[in-house]
Amino acid sequence: MTEQTQWLQTQIEKLAEEQGKFTDRAFWLALEALVGEQARRHDQLSGEVDGRTWRPDRW
Amino acid sequence: MTTLVLVSHPHLADSTSQQFLKASLPADETIIWEHIEGQSTLDVAKEQDQLRHADRIILQFPLYWYAAPAGLKAWEDTVLTRTFVYGDHRYPLAGKELGIVVTTGMPGKAFQRGGAEQITLDAAMAPLAALADRAKMTWLPIFAIHQFDYLEESEKLQLVVDYQRYLTQKQPDSLSERQDWFTKRLPAMIQQLPPEQQATGRLIEAEFAQQKDDIDALVDTLSLIKEQEDD
Repeated sequence: MTEQTQWLQTQIEKLAEEQGKFTDRAFWLALEALVGEQARRHDQLSGEVDGRTWRPDRW
Repeated sequence: MTTLVLVSHPHLADSTSQQFLKASLPADETIIWEHIEGQSTLDVAKEQDQLRHADRIILQFPLYWYAAPAGLKAWEDTVLTRTFVYGDHRYPLAGKELGIVVTTGMPGKAFQRGGAEQITLDAAMAPLAALADRAKMTWLPIFAIHQFDYLEESEKLQLVVDYQRYLTQKQPDSLSERQDWFTKRLPAMIQQLPPEQQATGRLIEAEFAQQKDDIDALVDTLSLIKEQEDD
C-alpha cells in the first residue's frame, strides 16, 4: 500500500470520526474500505502488467 | 432508479434489525418502503401499480422455518395474480430486479450442507427465485444478515452501506460499480459537512477519483498488452 493511500485513508477516518450521525460515519468508513480495495486492485493490475511485459522469450 | 422495499414482519416495532434497516434507508434515491402486515387490507391495484413502477423490488423479512413469514405469502397470493404476472403474456415485471434481504438467528455457516440448518439460503428461497423466473425478472444474489444482535459496531456501520448499495447500486457488485456508487454520492455528502470540513471532503473526493483513474489506465494498458499477445 502506498503512502498516498495511507494518507487518504487517514483523512477519511478522521472525517468519519467527526460525524455525529451513524449513517454518515458509515458512509465515510465504507469509502475508506473501498480505498483499500482500490489499492489492492492497483497492486494486482500493476503486477499483471509487469508480469506480461517481462517476456524473455520475446527478447 | 426506483426501489420498492416490501417488508414482511409480524412484529415490526419489536425488531431491532428491521428498525436498523429502516433507519439506514438511503435518502438520496427514490425508495418506496412498505410494511406488508401494516396494511389493514391489501389494495391490489395499488400494490400492482407500485410493482409496475419499480425498477428493483426488495422482499425483506426474517427467516421463519426456512421461509418468509406468512404475511409475505398472503401478499403474494393476493397481489401476484396469475393474470398480472404472466397470464395475459404482457409480463409487466419483466426485466425488473428481485432482491431478498433476509435476517436469520443462526450464523451464516449454519446454512450449508453439513451445517446446523442443512440447507442453503438459495435452496430455502427457491420458490421466490422460481417466481422471479416465471415473471421474467432478474434474481439478485441474496442479501443475508445473520445474528444482527451479535454484530459489532464496526460491522453495523459496514451493514448500513452494504444495505444501501444492495437497494440502489447497479449490479453486478463489482469494484467499478462500487466506485461509481460512491462517486455519485460524494458531492452531496461533502455539501452537508460543516464548512470547516468541506475542504477535506473535496480533497478526499479528488484523490479517490485519481485512484479510480489510475486503475482505469492500468486496465486499458493491460487490454492493449493482451491484444498484442493475441496477434
